Amino acid sequence: MSTVLRAEKLSKWYGNILGISDINLEVAGGITGLLGPNGAGKSTFLKIAAGQLKPKIGRLTVFGEPVWGNPGLFRRVGFCPEHDSAYNEMSGGAFILLLARLHGFAGAEATERTDKALAAVGLLESRGRAIKAYSFGMRQRLRLASAILHEPEMLLLDEPLRGVDPLWRIRIMQLIKDYGRQGRTVIVSSHILSEIEAMTSEIVLIHQGKIFAKGDIHSIRGLIDSHPHQVSIRCPQPRRLAGQLVAGEFVSGIEFAADGGGLTVRTDQRDRFFSALMPLAAQAGNEITEITSPDDNLQAVFDYLIGK
Amino acid sequence: MKSASPLPVVFAAFFRAGLRAKRTRVFILLALVPLLLTLLVRVVDPKESGDFFTKVMLSLYFQLLVPVLALFFGSSIVNDELDGKTLVYLTTVPVRRRAVLLGKYLAALLLAALLVAGGFLLCFLVAAFGRLGEAAAWGELGVFLGAALLALFCYSALFTALGAFMKKSILAGIFFVFGWESVVQYFPGVTQKFTVIHWIKSLLPIPPGEGGFLIFQLQPSPPLPSVLVPLAAGALFLWLAVLIFERKEYILSDNA
Repeated sequence: MSTVLRAEKLSKWYGNILGISDINLEVAGGITGLLGPNGAGKSTFLKIAAGQLKPKIGRLTVFGEPVWGNPGLFRRVGFCPEHDSAYNEMSGGAFILLLARLHGFAGAEATERTDKALAAVGLLESRGRAIKAYSFGMRQRLRLASAILHEPEMLLLDEPLRGVDPLWRIRIMQLIKDYGRQGRTVIVSSHILSEIEAMTSEIVLIHQGKIFAKGDIHSIRGLIDSHPHQVSIRCPQPRRLAGQLVAGEFVSGIEFAADGGGLTVRTDQRDRFFSALMPLAAQAGNEITEITSPDDNLQAVFDYLIGK
Repeated sequence: MKSASPLPVVFAAFFRAGLRAKRTRVFILLALVPLLLTLLVRVVDPKESGDFFTKVMLSLYFQLLVPVLALFFGSSIVNDELDGKTLVYLTTVPVRRRAVLLGKYLAALLLAALLVAGGFLLCFLVAAFGRLGEAAAWGELGVFLGAALLALFCYSALFTALGAFMKKSILAGIFFVFGWESVVQYFPGVTQKFTVIHWIKSLLPIPPGEGGFLIFQLQPSPPLPSVLVPLAAGALFLWLAVLIFERKEYILSDNA
């Protein structure tokens, strides 16, 4: 498969703060997961790939062309940024329609594209509502709609599942996997291993601005599995869920949130834990609204891997 | 695929957004202040209201409202995108950055022009109520409106460039409006010609000396240069704004 994105000796820093350093990477079709803790350099890399930042050293090309100052490339590239940003006074429909028109679609085609993108992320019914009235998860899905509306050959997704409810998390993962299956290129970043793992086995581990490992996830899976993990869950009845979870042997500790709206579970067997959690999430009464791995957890995993 | 031209698309979207913005509502209220003052003078002393319009209202409009409107609308063109971190949406579409900037500039200019022209017209109708049948009165209004549009064009372009160049451009803009423009226009010799307001005031149909200190300190410049200089300066500032916006790297997040 031919290379779609190529980074050569790519470095970027902000004043004295390192963004990424000496990154060499080639990405072909399919889904590539960019995994690393917050501040690892994932967003910097994706912003350079999306033409938002200029590399200090080195170069990055997409479809053989430099990205910075090359707006024509965005006919083939879609970018979903990590910031929770939007034109809050606009309606979701007006926002996506504006972007559709800026992508060169006019008249009925622009409207069709808008509706299709909004439907793909479940926002068609809410298209007339002002974005400021959207929930965090809805705004996240709207950003995804902005990236896919022109059906690009390459998608750059920066933490696309952050703040999305469990049901839509699964649907978005499916959407991303469909893109990959169609032979398109998707680079998706996350600091949550299970998210990446659910979408692809091809991962790039990035840590402290450098590529720490690259390749098939299974090669490092054993190492990661043996490290203790924390998973935070937001739900209306945390004690009930805790009771269901402690029945398994994979839970080594549980802490309840001070506000009574969640719990944090420690486990040494994350695969078994998630296998047990998913059916519980679907049960009436649990209504899980958010599942996150505290960032320091992944940081600890990386420190652990580096130590190995 | 029938392609839509990006500049009108940007213009239409941000003009509509501007009409609904809180900032616009605040400026509508601000634009009504001179109208209320004119109404007050009209009620208290109807004979004075024509002079009042000329002397004081023009000072309010040309020295305060026009530059302040241009400052807030112009500097927000890029600054709002940076503060709201929305620039990414306009720079990841297959559109040259200049089309985005110019579309937003034209939307801001039209909004500011509508606010000024609306306020102006209402003030004029109140102040010149007794002589609305005179063509000369309407001619004067036309010149005032033309001068206001020229000032908005030039100031807005300047503040757009400033906004594209620096993140907190509003402070620099306030210093320019209330410092440079307010003070240097009264300097003797050619120094006053380094202000925009000097050229704009030179176009206003007020006999020298009659308007007093608030209107003219020194002799105005001739009409032709007074039109050409703000036009050329505005075009230059706009070109600079485009140049900066196309080349500058805007970092929307503090963390890497």
